[in-house]
Amino acid sequence: MQSIIDFARGPLFRLCFTIMLLGLLRVLFIEFWGIYKAYSKACDKQIPWRLVLSRTFEWLIPARKLVKSGDVYSFVSILFHIGLIAAPVFLFAHITLLKSSIGIGWLSLPYKFEFWLTLSTIILSFFLLVLRIARRTIRLLSRPEDYLWLILILFPFVTGFVCANIDISATLYEFLMAVHVISADLIFALIPFTKIVHCVLAPFSQFVDALAWKFPARTDEDIALTLNKKGIPV
Amino acid sequence: MKTKSINDEERRKAFSSTKSQEVIEKQKLNVRYHVEDFDNSDLPRRFLEVFAAILKHSNYKFVLDHFVRLTARCSQCAVACHIYQATGDIKDVPCYRSNLLLDVYRRHFTMGGLLKGKITGEWSITNEKIEEMADSFWNCTACRRCTIECPLGIDHGLITHLGRYILSEIGIAPRALVVSTRAQLEGPHRNTSAIPVPALKDTLEFLESDMLEDKSIRITFPLDVVGAEYVFFPAVSDFLMEAETLMGIAAVFAATGDSWTIGTGYFDGINYGLFYNDRIMERVVRNIDAETRRLNGKKILIGECGHASRVAKQYIPTYCGGENALPVVSILEYTYNAWKEGRLKLDPEVVTERVAYHDPCNLARNRWIVNQPREVLKAFCKNYVEMTPSGDRNICCGGGGGTVSIDEIRPYRTIVGGKLKAEQIRRSGCEVLVAPCANCKKQLRELVEDQNLSCKVVGLHDLIYRAIVFDKEIDRVEMEGKACNR
Repeated sequence: MQSIIDFARGPLFRLCFTIMLLGLLRVLFIEFWGIYKAYSKACDKQIPWRLVLSRTFEWLIPARKLVKSGDVYSFVSILFHIGLIAAPVFLFAHITLLKSSIGIGWLSLPYKFEFWLTLSTIILSFFLLVLRIARRTIRLLSRPEDYLWLILILFPFVTGFVCANIDISATLYEFLMAVHVISADLIFALIPFTKIVHCVLAPFSQFVDALAWKFPARTDEDIALTLNKKGIPV
Repeated sequence: MKTKSINDEERRKAFSSTKSQEVIEKQKLNVRYHVEDFDNSDLPRRFLEVFAAILKHSNYKFVLDHFVRLTARCSQCAVACHIYQATGDIKDVPCYRSNLLLDVYRRHFTMGGLLKGKITGEWSITNEKIEEMADSFWNCTACRRCTIECPLGIDHGLITHLGRYILSEIGIAPRALVVSTRAQLEGPHRNTSAIPVPALKDTLEFLESDMLEDKSIRITFPLDVVGAEYVFFPAVSDFLMEAETLMGIAAVFAATGDSWTIGTGYFDGINYGLFYNDRIMERVVRNIDAETRRLNGKKILIGECGHASRVAKQYIPTYCGGENALPVVSILEYTYNAWKEGRLKLDPEVVTERVAYHDPCNLARNRWIVNQPREVLKAFCKNYVEMTPSGDRNICCGGGGGTVSIDEIRPYRTIVGGKLKAEQIRRSGCEVLVAPCANCKKQLRELVEDQNLSCKVVGLHDLIYRAIVFDKEIDRVEMEGKACNR
């Protein structure tokens, strides 16, 4: 079992992390290339930067939504995302591992805070899963991917929480640790090919939307010619 | 922003259709709005051809790529959607509607979709799907409130806009909009209301004599003045139905002394192309630019009309010169600046009714014109009350996206589309509702009638006309013994 854990933490982690990085870079390249082409084609190149930046900021720091949102899904989702990112990134054990392998580390959260943050994230992800099943509109719109991701995310969180906080046998610990690392590796590898790619694309949504309404000039003529509609009356 | 869904009786009324069964069977299209006869053969293939042509020559492709990657199917958009809140129908969730088109895009225009197609052989686009889109995209008012609520910033209004564009190119578009646009682009009078120039002149003369009698001041509507600072394009229906709005605007110019004119070559700011077809939108915008240049005007001035203002502001630079395009000003901006500079004086004792302000979506959603009209109103309306939500999060009047021009769906607009707005108006207790948009005014007046609200819907300049105060230096006219100041 230890060899599986070492493999999962070592070569498999490096492979999956590389897939994630390259995949995200590919997606970002496609995104920026699309933005570049659209901007080049657009005749009016004035972007409403104030609106774009203020809406992007409001999205990044959804304080208003947290306070004023009339919808529980929105509220739960925001808190879930905070825990989803902060809990693994600022976990002492992860930072120690990282420091020992590549020499880079940062401040970690205090143990008690980390405990409650991780537990909250687990509870919130269960809550999101329940909402996705129970809420008619969300259930009818959901794809298998939308349920599977919530379940998949639970694996590293639950196993990590149990390993770090609950007295268990060594065998069980090793088993859960293997599941923890492999599930995390799987998550890394899948990120660029699923909706989780929003982690890098969503910050550009407001800019993309502003640019989307900037049309190229003379599209009337080009499209009319392509569709053999030039000169055809309204 | 929650409300109870409509009951069964309301649903039956709202979704009733005036179309005959014969027409539905002949066109093989069961939608509530009238459509001119069109070629309904081979629709799926033609839909894809049009889609491909548009993607090739526009910027939509990279946007759709962005959206299909991001969509989380969380239905948060439903929280903001006044249509969904009224019907409770899953098909009115903006995300569901957008995916009608995004599924087609994924399947036929992405690598993954094309591979899947090769393996399964299935198409995602059928006649039934096209009919569903034709129905769904015109249930939406394209108000884009959902865009603000979407945690991933997906612009469902843009997707509705694109869906309608593709449908119109295969012949499916509301007849009301097509007929008006035909009159505007190909008719002898070159405007959506087919008003001939002599009738325009008569109307304006009549308004001038009205103002003379009212204010004892000679206020004119200058026609075809060469080299004026502003060339004015209102919603042409204002000449028929919004006399006080026009008189208010003329009065503002009389107060400021700035030069302005209306061009008899083209005087219609309306652009239904925004609602259903980008190619049409481009053609209409070019007409506005051409007329302004014909008169050697310095700036394009759009009247109280949300969509006309937005289209001119966004697309004059796109289609008519880029950086060298003529500046576009909304009359609301102009009046606000005039008031701020002290050139426009308003008597705060005239308007005593309880006044509320409705934000037209096309002005407020992108935070372009939000506070300006409010500041002016608060300056002279002592009993001003703010509705909530407001500003860029305002509730749509229920007739947006061109749906207000489709008379046969009025029950839908006033029972479903305007339900939340009616509740908001009722809560405010306002006696006068200011809505500086021709389309909003029409919809809100129908809403007032159908939902038994007790308020009057007016434009901003209607109230300004009542309260405007002219300086002593203005040339007053002696009229049957009235005081004369020079």
